[in-house]
Amino acid sequence: MLKEIVRGLSTTFRQIFEKPVTIQYPEVKRPVRPRFKGRHILKRYDNGLEKCIGCSLCAAACPADAIFVEAAENTDELRYSPGERYASTYEINLLRCIFCGYCEDACPTEAIILGDNYELSFTDRRSAIYTKEMLIEPVKPGGKPTPQKVEPGKFTRSIPDMQDPQD
Amino acid sequence: MAQLISLMIDDKPVKVPEGTLIVNAAKKVGIDIPVFCYHPKMEPVGMCRMCLVEIGRPQIDRETRKPVLDEQGNPVIQFGPKLETACTTPVSEGMVVMGMSDKVKKGRQDILEFLLTSHPLDCPICDKGGECPLQNLTMEHGPGVSRFLYDEKMHLAKHYPLGDLILLDRERCIQCGRCVRFQDEIVGEPVIGFEQRGRSLQIETFSDPGFDSYYSGNTTDICPVGALTTTDFRFGARPWELKPVASVCSQCPVGCNITYNIRREARAGGRYVIKRVLPRQHEEVNEIWICDKARFAGYQYAESPERLTRPMLRRNGELVESSWDEALQVVAERFKAATGGLVTYAGGRLSNEDLFNLKQLTEGLKGQAILKSSIGGGVLVAQMGVAKGTDLGKLGAGDAILVIASDLQEEAPIWWLRVKQAADRGATLIVVNPRQTRLDRFATHTLRYDYGSETATVLAMINALESKKTRLPDWLAKYRPNRFQTAAAKAFAGAKNGIILFGQEGMDLPRSQELALACANLLFLTDHLGSPNNGLIGVWESANTQGAWDMGFRPSTELKEMFSSARAVYVVAADPAGDDPSLADALEQSEFVVVQELFLTSTARLADVVLPVTAQPEREGTYTTGERRVQRFFPAIPAPGGVIPDYEIAARIGERSGLKMENRAASLVFAQLAARVSDYEGLSYRSLAETHEQWPIIGRDDLYYGGTAYENTQGLGVQLMPSSQKRKIFQVNWQEPPVRVSGKGLLGVPITRLYDRGATVTPSRSLASRVPGPFILVNETTAQKLDMHNDAPVQLMLAGSAYSAMLRVDTAVPESVVLVPRSLGIPLSELQPVDIRVAETTPA
Amino acid sequence: MSTFLLLRHREIPNLDQLDVYRQHGGFEAFQKAITTLQPKEVTDEVKASGLRGRGGAGFPTGMKWSFIDNNNWPHYVVANADESEPGTFKDREIMEGNPYQFLEGVMICAYAVQAQSAYIYLRGEFWQLAAELDKRIQALEAAGLLGDNILGTNFSLRLYTHLGAGAYICGEETALLESLEGKLGQPRLRPPFPPSYGLYGKPTIVNNVETLTNVPLIVARGAKWYKTMGTERSPGTKIFSLCGQVNKPGNYELPLGTTFRELIFTHGGGLKDGRKVKAIMPAGASSSIIVATEEALDTPMDYENTQKVGSVLGSASVIVIDDSVSMEWVINKTLHFFKHESCGKCTPCREGTYWMMHISDRISRGQANEEDLETLNDVALNIQGKCLCALGEFSTMAVVTGIERFKSDFELRLAQNANPESPETVLAAVD
Repeated sequence: MLKEIVRGLSTTFRQIFEKPVTIQYPEVKRPVRPRFKGRHILKRYDNGLEKCIGCSLCAAACPADAIFVEAAENTDELRYSPGERYASTYEINLLRCIFCGYCEDACPTEAIILGDNYELSFTDRRSAIYTKEMLIEPVKPGGKPTPQKVEPGKFTRSIPDMQDPQD
Repeated sequence: MAQLISLMIDDKPVKVPEGTLIVNAAKKVGIDIPVFCYHPKMEPVGMCRMCLVEIGRPQIDRETRKPVLDEQGNPVIQFGPKLETACTTPVSEGMVVMGMSDKVKKGRQDILEFLLTSHPLDCPICDKGGECPLQNLTMEHGPGVSRFLYDEKMHLAKHYPLGDLILLDRERCIQCGRCVRFQDEIVGEPVIGFEQRGRSLQIETFSDPGFDSYYSGNTTDICPVGALTTTDFRFGARPWELKPVASVCSQCPVGCNITYNIRREARAGGRYVIKRVLPRQHEEVNEIWICDKARFAGYQYAESPERLTRPMLRRNGELVESSWDEALQVVAERFKAATGGLVTYAGGRLSNEDLFNLKQLTEGLKGQAILKSSIGGGVLVAQMGVAKGTDLGKLGAGDAILVIASDLQEEAPIWWLRVKQAADRGATLIVVNPRQTRLDRFATHTLRYDYGSETATVLAMINALESKKTRLPDWLAKYRPNRFQTAAAKAFAGAKNGIILFGQEGMDLPRSQELALACANLLFLTDHLGSPNNGLIGVWESANTQGAWDMGFRPSTELKEMFSSARAVYVVAADPAGDDPSLADALEQSEFVVVQELFLTSTARLADVVLPVTAQPEREGTYTTGERRVQRFFPAIPAPGGVIPDYEIAARIGERSGLKMENRAASLVFAQLAARVSDYEGLSYRSLAETHEQWPIIGRDDLYYGGTAYENTQGLGVQLMPSSQKRKIFQVNWQEPPVRVSGKGLLGVPITRLYDRGATVTPSRSLASRVPGPFILVNETTAQKLDMHNDAPVQLMLAGSAYSAMLRVDTAVPESVVLVPRSLGIPLSELQPVDIRVAETTPA
Repeated sequence: MSTFLLLRHREIPNLDQLDVYRQHGGFEAFQKAITTLQPKEVTDEVKASGLRGRGGAGFPTGMKWSFIDNNNWPHYVVANADESEPGTFKDREIMEGNPYQFLEGVMICAYAVQAQSAYIYLRGEFWQLAAELDKRIQALEAAGLLGDNILGTNFSLRLYTHLGAGAYICGEETALLESLEGKLGQPRLRPPFPPSYGLYGKPTIVNNVETLTNVPLIVARGAKWYKTMGTERSPGTKIFSLCGQVNKPGNYELPLGTTFRELIFTHGGGLKDGRKVKAIMPAGASSSIIVATEEALDTPMDYENTQKVGSVLGSASVIVIDDSVSMEWVINKTLHFFKHESCGKCTPCREGTYWMMHISDRISRGQANEEDLETLNDVALNIQGKCLCALGEFSTMAVVTGIERFKSDFELRLAQNANPESPETVLAAVD
């Protein structure tokens, strides 16, 4: 009987020297896997123009009806996106969203992607509605913020040649 | 009755009348043959080649002229070597149509592949996406990939404006020609057309301003791609995000059935907003067409930030906001005190329920119910109006339509369209007008008269008939007809059915009453009363003027006297002070003025109490069209907080004055109305909401067939019976028109234009550039005599006051006549001498 | 006996003057017709002669005249002088050299179908010809051969010329009528055909210039005489517009049934630089291309026998191509032509000709592969059988027969590198 107790306790003692698998979140954060579906980001092109053209295909694809889009017309004085159309209102209700990624699949310009941010919490329903200002990514270096004033006739095509998707 | 032909389509037996096209025959049994260029309302052209099917016909023996039979005794079917278009081929006995064979499927796929070669990849940014026939048919019949190289695609103008209302995207256009053919065939105004040829074939507009037609918006409904889109709905919303609500246009007496598309808008703070107006199919009223005023102006006034939302009381000379309780109490007390001296002045914009309650209130307080209308004759229309079952779309060869004193396209555009199409089908069109209008081209007889002699013309025509049907008064003999009037009168008498439309051209109240009477007598003498497609139609100024007549309102020629001597004036949906400064003075003299309105009009500014109301798109109600059809409209958007519908305000005032009135719901008011107004007996909201299947079938899943007009599932309304049909009462009164001395010099004549500065039109954003400032029309000789030129700023002298206007030269205007459009700021309401002076250069 | 029926001005100088023409029997047939014959008799005579339309379709002329609807009036006659088929220049020579015989043909036709107005629709580029014809019409009016109650009969007739504006499609009869009415030159739906519903909706006979030029001789000398020339089913003579790489290109009037060999070598003087015939396009750009085998060269040129070598006679604008030319280059030319001339009304022709031209240009530039050639053939086959009018259908004939019968030319081109001298740099300036 003592032999069994010692064997059990030795297993327990050996655990003291095992490396813990606990990750000390929030001081240490485990990197997310590729293709992780976190909070949405509205992407920009390198020159700063928004990729989103306000087509509402993401809203149509969304199974939870979480996205609300209103479109408006670009002018060359105030240009938000290439082409004729941009999203003047873009809201996602993150309480409705099920993070399925259908919006990302539906987007014809690769504007909306599900990024890596999973640290979302709200204290009331209203603050769960993320607007375009909260979702759009910051301007990359070398680009200008929108709205931009551009030469007429330069950005006439709304939908670019698509590359293979990357994470 | 046309002979019935039997044929087989995709193994389904079909029996249709002779002359039916295969496309339509297939629709009758639920088979959809895809089309782009064909439209059921237009002649087929066979251009797009999408409807290609295999057609087999029974082989006929040359000698015996009978079908050749095979061993089983069935006719041998010979299929043509090539595919044939189903939209151009009429059915024939024993035909076999294959729409599902491999050859046909490959044909459809090839045509779609061709169409998609240069069609741009615009679906995400195109307004038509979601309701696009090209999208739908590509999904169903098209190829999955394209073999065409992007670099070889033709690049053409995108968002090219055809005028201010319509945008053309030439890359998306698939050259189906529906828009061009609509303007040419149906409207008769080919202001757009094709230019260049081959792949470069594109739409261009030939008018200045571009696409100058009141029906331009309809092309965006029938365009099968997103080439033609409206500017007011550009990037507005996706079709699947919109909710449809049925309604009736509130602008003119045609009563076109429309659908409001609504959506919650972030820009409007999350409220439901009307995004656009589309037609609703009603074959007996407007088919699937609406005019541009309905499409672009019919609702935008409701969203104007100028809307009144709080009741106001005048304290110390200023209008201050107050509460409903307080305002209604003040009104009720003053009205009660004014018993016997109340004048209710109501406009035709109100619904039947509002007018009924207002009449109850007015009667209960022994007041007078006055209708705002420049033209009279509504009671005659109730008696001698068009009979139940009338449908302008059924008139054709053998029928006659007489249009008198009306510039019909400006006053009621969709009636103009229907009358024009009736003339195209062979109806005898008699246009009687002092000047040339856009209806003359289609007229069989055109009669001219001097302004003021319209009744004399009709009396002359009556004289020409030499009818023995009733004893004609002796004084009639002095109205001797000329040969044109005689010919026209005989043509009208000889027709199987006859309708007379009398309008607003140079009309005022007394003259129009005389004219209506004379027209009614003409209808009586020619036996054109009491049966469908016969009778009198008044082209009123507002949507529900006929309803106002029916509810008991009558116009008056003594407004000034009435207003100044009234103890209380209750102005509802009218702006007398804004129409005429002398009425403003008269109102100032009355003791108490209450204005119930949408906006702070000139009348509201001098009122003692101002009550804000709910607009038509925000509530329920009914309108009665000029053809006496009662139609329901439904609420589309929520009203701004604080407003109350007119019928409820009237009822609550009534209750506080000791009358018992219905104020809870429009349907309940209507139930009372139906019980008390004899012509409306038996009607209810339920009966007004009944529908039946209409042909052609438009508005279901196959929107490539008919366009984006909506199917009518919410009610076709009910047409009332005039007394001439119900009780066969044909009272013929004769009234000799008084002799009016015409002066020398210039005669000012009031006319109507479609785009005016009415309260519900000026807030429209889309039509802003087309709504003109005040202008007057003269012909070149008159302009020369005045030593003035086109587009000169002038002063019109009228009854001692000067009004600024632009002078325009128009060859159609008779000599020494000045045409003054109504509702532009110049208060000319009857034929009057005027003078024109050069505008002073000092700024006002 | 003259060797020419139509190109008589080659034997008789100054035949384009009215008095000279009358000296040589001019307007005797017309006089005979309106004074001694009934309209129906004239039609029957033309029917009996077996004359077939010379504009390309080869429809029996007399039969067309007999289809005219006698319940709908007035009638019109329209002479189709919109000679736009590449390689066709016969009508021009007739109207320049022997105009009065042509006009007489129009007038006899008008009498036969009882029309009081006849129109001559000329292509826009023939403005000088039109001016000349106007003068000749005036001369006829002055001579009392046109106008009211001609030669004391109760037949009245007026002739008018009308210029097109540079569209090949307006040679198609219904597109011609649309253009004549002042509308966009696009073909109409058929049925109904012009003899029932033509100009302004009235019964109209539309005939080619050469066809009508035959008519006075048939009326003068009789149908039986006419049938002694040519073949049984294609009687009479035809003007062959021989062009291409021959030594003596030009118009040659020969009896129908003459072989290609005779036309090219005996009359046309053979090929330049002694080269060999590679291909023949008997109907201009709309041809199905004939491979010039010995058998093909010995084929008689008439409406039946050309079908045996997989082609159609058409308007007989015989283009001869020698073995120094790549058929791929020829087809590129025809495709540019059809893309430019497509009216745009129906989808397959409008989009298809544009597409085919672009693929062909890429092949010319050496930027295409085998798959593109497949696509070109497939697109052409997809267009066939679906078009509204013959332009679309015939635009594919050269492509399909060219790829089928001269595949090696295409493959050679595909294998070559990009060539800076390639034809489409020249054509780019044109388009």
